[in-house]
Amino acid sequence: MGRPGSQKAEYVYVIYIETTPEKLWHALIDPEMTKDYWGRHANRSDWKPGSPWRHEDYDNASSVRVVGTVLESEAPRRLALTWVSPENASDPAKTSRVTFQIDPMFGSVRLTVTHEDLDDEMLRAISGGWPPILSSLKTLLETGASMPMTRRPWKGRQETEQKGAA
Amino acid sequence: MSKPTFIYVIYIRTSVEALWRALIEPEFTKQYWAGTWQESEWKKGAPWRIMIPDGRVGDAGEVLEFEPHRRIVLSWRNEFMPELTAEGFSRLTYELEQQGDMVKLALTHEMLDLPPGPSKFIDAVSSGWPAILSSLKSMLETGESLEATRRWPEGV
Repeated sequence: MGRPGSQKAEYVYVIYIETTPEKLWHALIDPEMTKDYWGRHANRSDWKPGSPWRHEDYDNASSVRVVGTVLESEAPRRLALTWVSPENASDPAKTSRVTFQIDPMFGSVRLTVTHEDLDDEMLRAISGGWPPILSSLKTLLETGASMPMTRRPWKGRQETEQKGAA
Repeated sequence: MSKPTFIYVIYIRTSVEALWRALIEPEFTKQYWAGTWQESEWKKGAPWRIMIPDGRVGDAGEVLEFEPHRRIVLSWRNEFMPELTAEGFSRLTYELEQQGDMVKLALTHEMLDLPPGPSKFIDAVSSGWPAILSSLKSMLETGESLEATRRWPEGV
């Protein structure tokens, strides 16, 4: 459900994880965990509503991939962020919104990631990104080790994928 | 505008051979797919159906394509909820691709006979597939499916 009047696309991904809401919340914001399933990147913020946040290379904090503002932060249930690349940070048309909703469900935890206000190019990019990241997050929480492909920076991983597909 | 469609991609730390067996063999599907199993000869043109533990047929159709360890395409109609049966046949595609020590599983479920717009069938499978495929991944990676998916839900 996009905002009223919005013509932009929305992407929704739902995954069930054998864990607790507290552990899942922690895994979304702790750099020591994100580096292992989110292409060796870190999410940095004080995670208070209105605060800035950024998604940066774990090994090189000057390499920032995404910036934004924390819109909602209700640990351990709901985190909503604006999401824009640093070079477009002043352009509302290039700014999307991501919500992580965490619900205890049937004895496990349901994570719903909603990425909305996307233009076509962003929709294509994030549609290829969220499934491996969230699949690996589940693997990390359930087995103690993430999927190796997601421990490396994004670019190297895509090159590996292309070679693998060739 | 395209037909009503649900797409889901999940990465599983396993082999295409193990995932393939888990998708079609009853001893596996009963663990992660609400106690159900499929009956088919698994060749092109063969009938295919999902059996509910109480003896009802859940869904039924035909095997349209069958490429071991790579791809399955099924025609698929719900058979136990009249409002979903009324929407007619859907088409389900599983595609498997080994990427290092993981397999990318891409599932596409699309309505064939409906115009673009809302579909009760697609709404239903959109809430069902993430739970089933999350549980399939848990089963293959940890040996244990998600508990809630091991039995047919009461009252359904």
